[in-house]
Amino acid sequence: MQRKMRGRGMAASWYGIARTATIDRAGAWAELDDGGTAKIVTGVTEIGEGILTVLAQIAAEELGVKPEDITIGDNDTARSPEAAHAGATRQTYMIGNSVALACREAFARLVAELADHWDVEPDSIKAFDGEIWSEGSNFKTSMEDAVDVCKKRGVVPVGSGSFTAHGTGLDPEDGSGSPWQAYVYGCQVAEVEVDTVTGEVQVLGIWAAHDVGRAINPRGVEGQIEGGVVQGLGQALMEDYQLEDGHTKTHGFAKYILPTSLDIPQINTVIVEDPDPKSPLGAKGIGEPALVPTAPAIMNAIYDAVGVRITALPATPEKILAGLASLKDRKLQSVEAAE
Amino acid sequence: MLTCDQYHMPQTLKEALVLWNNAPDGSRLVAGATDILPWAREGRAGDVHLPAMIDVTKVAELNGYKVADGRVRLGANVVFQQFLEDDTLREHLPCMPYCSVWFADDQIRQQATLAGNIVNASPAADGTPPVLAMNGEIELARLEGESVAVRTLAVQDFVQGPGRTALQPGEIITAVTCDSMAGYGGSFEKVGQRRSLVISAVCATALVMTDPAGQRLEDIRLAIGGIGPVPLRLADIEDKLRSKTISRELITEVSMQPPALVASRTRREYRRWVVRGFVQAAIEDALADAGHPIAPALPKEAEHV
Amino acid sequence: MSDFKLDMEVNGRRVSKHTAGHLRLLDFIRDELDLTGTKEGCGAGECGTCSVFVDGKLVKSCLMPVAKANGAKIETIEGLAGTGVLTPVQRAFHKTGASQCGYCIPGMVMAATSALRENPGASAEELKERLGGNICRCTGYTKIFEAVEIARDVIAGRVGTQALEPEGAGDSYIGNNVRRLDAPSKVSGRLRYAGDMTMPHMLHMQVLRSPHAHARIVSIDTSEAEAMPGVECVITADDVPGEDGFGVFVHDQPIMARGSVRYVGEGIAAVAAENVETARRALSKIHVAYEELPAIFDPEEAMQPGAPVIHEYASDNIVKHIPIRKGDVKKGFAEADLIVEETYQTQQVEHAYLEPEAGIAYVDHDDVVTVISPSQNITHHRHMLAKIIDKPINKVRFIMSPVGGGFGGKEDMIYQGMLALAAMKTHRPVRLVYTREESIISTAKRHPARITYKMGLKNDGKITAIQFHMVSDGGAYGMSTEGVMRKAAILSCGPYDVANVQIDTIGVYTNNTPSGAFRTFGAMQAQFATESHLDICAERLGLDPFEIRRINMMRDGAFTHTKQKLGSVSLDEVLTAAETSSGWEAGAPDMRGPARKDLGGPGTREPCSLGARFEASSGKSKRQVA
Repeated sequence: MQRKMRGRGMAASWYGIARTATIDRAGAWAELDDGGTAKIVTGVTEIGEGILTVLAQIAAEELGVKPEDITIGDNDTARSPEAAHAGATRQTYMIGNSVALACREAFARLVAELADHWDVEPDSIKAFDGEIWSEGSNFKTSMEDAVDVCKKRGVVPVGSGSFTAHGTGLDPEDGSGSPWQAYVYGCQVAEVEVDTVTGEVQVLGIWAAHDVGRAINPRGVEGQIEGGVVQGLGQALMEDYQLEDGHTKTHGFAKYILPTSLDIPQINTVIVEDPDPKSPLGAKGIGEPALVPTAPAIMNAIYDAVGVRITALPATPEKILAGLASLKDRKLQSVEAAE
Repeated sequence: MLTCDQYHMPQTLKEALVLWNNAPDGSRLVAGATDILPWAREGRAGDVHLPAMIDVTKVAELNGYKVADGRVRLGANVVFQQFLEDDTLREHLPCMPYCSVWFADDQIRQQATLAGNIVNASPAADGTPPVLAMNGEIELARLEGESVAVRTLAVQDFVQGPGRTALQPGEIITAVTCDSMAGYGGSFEKVGQRRSLVISAVCATALVMTDPAGQRLEDIRLAIGGIGPVPLRLADIEDKLRSKTISRELITEVSMQPPALVASRTRREYRRWVVRGFVQAAIEDALADAGHPIAPALPKEAEHV
Repeated sequence: MSDFKLDMEVNGRRVSKHTAGHLRLLDFIRDELDLTGTKEGCGAGECGTCSVFVDGKLVKSCLMPVAKANGAKIETIEGLAGTGVLTPVQRAFHKTGASQCGYCIPGMVMAATSALRENPGASAEELKERLGGNICRCTGYTKIFEAVEIARDVIAGRVGTQALEPEGAGDSYIGNNVRRLDAPSKVSGRLRYAGDMTMPHMLHMQVLRSPHAHARIVSIDTSEAEAMPGVECVITADDVPGEDGFGVFVHDQPIMARGSVRYVGEGIAAVAAENVETARRALSKIHVAYEELPAIFDPEEAMQPGAPVIHEYASDNIVKHIPIRKGDVKKGFAEADLIVEETYQTQQVEHAYLEPEAGIAYVDHDDVVTVISPSQNITHHRHMLAKIIDKPINKVRFIMSPVGGGFGGKEDMIYQGMLALAAMKTHRPVRLVYTREESIISTAKRHPARITYKMGLKNDGKITAIQFHMVSDGGAYGMSTEGVMRKAAILSCGPYDVANVQIDTIGVYTNNTPSGAFRTFGAMQAQFATESHLDICAERLGLDPFEIRRINMMRDGAFTHTKQKLGSVSLDEVLTAAETSSGWEAGAPDMRGPARKDLGGPGTREPCSLGARFEASSGKSKRQVA
């Protein structure tokens, strides 16, 4: 065996979108505002995944304005409608769809006034990127003007949306039930190098293919997958919260080991889009599922490289070398038995 | 949380020694301070209040380095990043850039001193094995009446055990001195749980001088750390290699010995496995650094498998 | 305390102040100068959120007593560019989406700036090394590397500044890489997280925590602490006016320990004082008498008869058991040609968001008790707090502050109640900022799991039955354990069509740090076992890993383990996508790494060997020999 051994492994995964085994709900308010801008108010919780930008894109698309012209009033229980928690890979699905519904209502209000003003069919009116026009006619104006027209006719173009996801509870005896209305699937391949002198494992490449329904912001989806992969890698190889009689031995980041910039692979993302038929946007989610296949893919790759099967995470250098040593013992035994 | 009544920043050695001698019990002398601040936190020492902290980083006599008579005198304020960036230090201490690049990170290396790393006497200290390999000595100053007296101790006599050194009350480390190793190839091997900001489980360093053809080892220095209470110089192995023709077989053979030296109370088996491979890797990497890489081995079983 | 005269230049302006010399440069910058773009993530030099330039050298300001910076030129994130202007590094971070939660980003921008100042031509590998002191928990670093390389090339003039410009609108904003709206405030350090916020007349809170894993609280004497000058109030469970108890599924956790403590680090009392130092000193003046109780640390032992009971309502220490039954596993195993059994374990994992917990509470002019905090679930917090403080729901208001990473760890209302009680008691704003160590010992972790796995298969690879049994340590309180067990059970056996399954997931109380919500909510633990197990079976059957999964995968219209009929199933598509993009060489997983032909391709990085900067300068590549 050479010092550095390489191998590959893969793992697949699945995941449910939004709250589990229950009905999930989210609400939003929308208003097309002066200057052709827009306000969205919803109890959304940006925890870094980029949901505010996703909502701005959805609102921009639905209202025909620019994303940077959207103002989002986010989570304040006294000021914004309930959209519930940041978790369960639910925000794009639940809040994204509620924002889309709210925007559609606001837009329809504006369109009704403008159609009357232009004397065209409401269905002919389209808008994008700050402009609004009637297809099949020469009517075209800025969203700023359109809002002005609407307001001068005495109407504020507002809307609200509530989106529901229908999960059902599990039977307490046999667990049967329909916990989610949308599922996503994923698959990752890992390539590793195992140092047989130190037992260190370096992950050199991850190929991550994930169904997200519809990628609102592909770069943001990549960011979620890359972050999920590296958290999965941390759990696979180094992270370990240790207790001794209830007292932690890993008080700080000197002892609780996280991946640094030198510990991560090249991450190759493939976004697969199988749109959700049960929601206006077709988007599903990616926050949590990205992490699921990483650790088993790495363990399968380690086995491929050196024949050591790690069944207890994390795969520390020490466990790898112990595994190599017991492989050697087994080989010796089998040689003796053969003799 | 670390607090103190007095924070002193003396400008001269004399001033520092006077302050240190007169400091109330429990006062601390600091240089980089990169270890004391994390120490005074929950899970370690907790909140600590000190009567005085005496910070020597502005003491002029402790700054800079000097190369003379085959020795390098590193002022106690020399920080790890200098070993990476200073061409003269890289030339004379060829294992130190590799040691430093593994030490903490670029930012902590701007503050953390080699002298501080040694005086903390951690069994996992990265800085001590290279100094040991380079016949390092610790220069200690103290007050004798009105004048400053200096004594020198070999680093193996200075570092006595985990957290224990031969430092006497009132003494301040003024310098670390070592052989100039210009012309040697250097290396540093380290394994921890990741590749940056990491504490050594095991580390090893080598310095080699070959004949111009790279066939024969004129001189070799080897030291290992993380394997027991104090880092070790591998003088026996050096003797077996010195003046010998370089061969992979020879290097492999001598690398079989160090595991017996591993005395750590924890993870002993693991450290034994690693040490054997590390001694071999350190020698081979140092030869490569010297410009005479040993021919790649034919694929074969790693020694411990 | 020493009185140290400081003269320095900070972001081009002279600063002259008297302060304590031991104060960390970080505290001075944040508290004295109100430059809060420099963050505190760990206080121990291990994360890099506090990186600043001191005389042109990047250092970690949590490791530097401010006296060392006397006379120095300091540059913080706020000083990199003029107001309203971004540097090429900051613009590149904006462009690539390199900021997610943003908490590590000021430090990361500083590290990237330093790297490019030190070596404007640094290679990708050298840049990674130079960023090695800065931890990011959200991004997986990849977009950060991309940003730094773009910035390097723009600064060097190798590419034009258009590389920093946004992509166009195209014909739709869906599927468009619109730049993050919140990035400019994050890359410039302008965004204020809860720990960066101050209010006039604000008090500072510190929390007394349990040193015992299980003990009865005999008495708590707060009188000495309350008498201290600067201490405004001390609160304990006795200050709770309503129905005490919170949790995601079962409200079993009091705001502060009530009668007993169940894990090390559990909050017992909290002090609100004029400053943090006084509050910390006051903690040592609170006298708690404990009677230690037998504690239990292993979930299997906790389920044994006679084990110490942790919560009276659950005499068997079981938080939740989720069973799933489908088909007949006995019959399934009888039909199998191969039965493989194995056990798997996963560890407890810390969320390690870079922003430690923080919050401010106050009572407003309408007597609304208001809590600002980086919580992932203020909707639920509001319901729980209203009951706990016995107020109508419209008199309780939660405001989300920017969340510096959550990953499930900020779903529980672990400290907001204490803040609310102190604000109600003092009618002053009260702020609490956790230390990293406090965050680690007192907040929930990913559930560890022990999984016993039994799978039966036909020789052609078709799975005939799975028996899946998982025991998970929920720690001292219920938190999300019930939901985690449910999700783990539903997803346990993977997206595979298996006629006969028997699944049990059991969450158990112990006296360990509680386990709670963590990204994947039990799914990764369960599927780690399934996906490892499938490879073991594939080797035994001589099947390629993709093949064994395709043989068993759910297809359109399949029934799940909970007998739900699925619509469209994209599994085959994602399998093919991963297989194709990685150029996977088919074969059974029997340690064929050394013989593979698909290794080292364009999708991989070179192994990291440290010292990229020497290789660039010496032209030597020394690490290929060993």
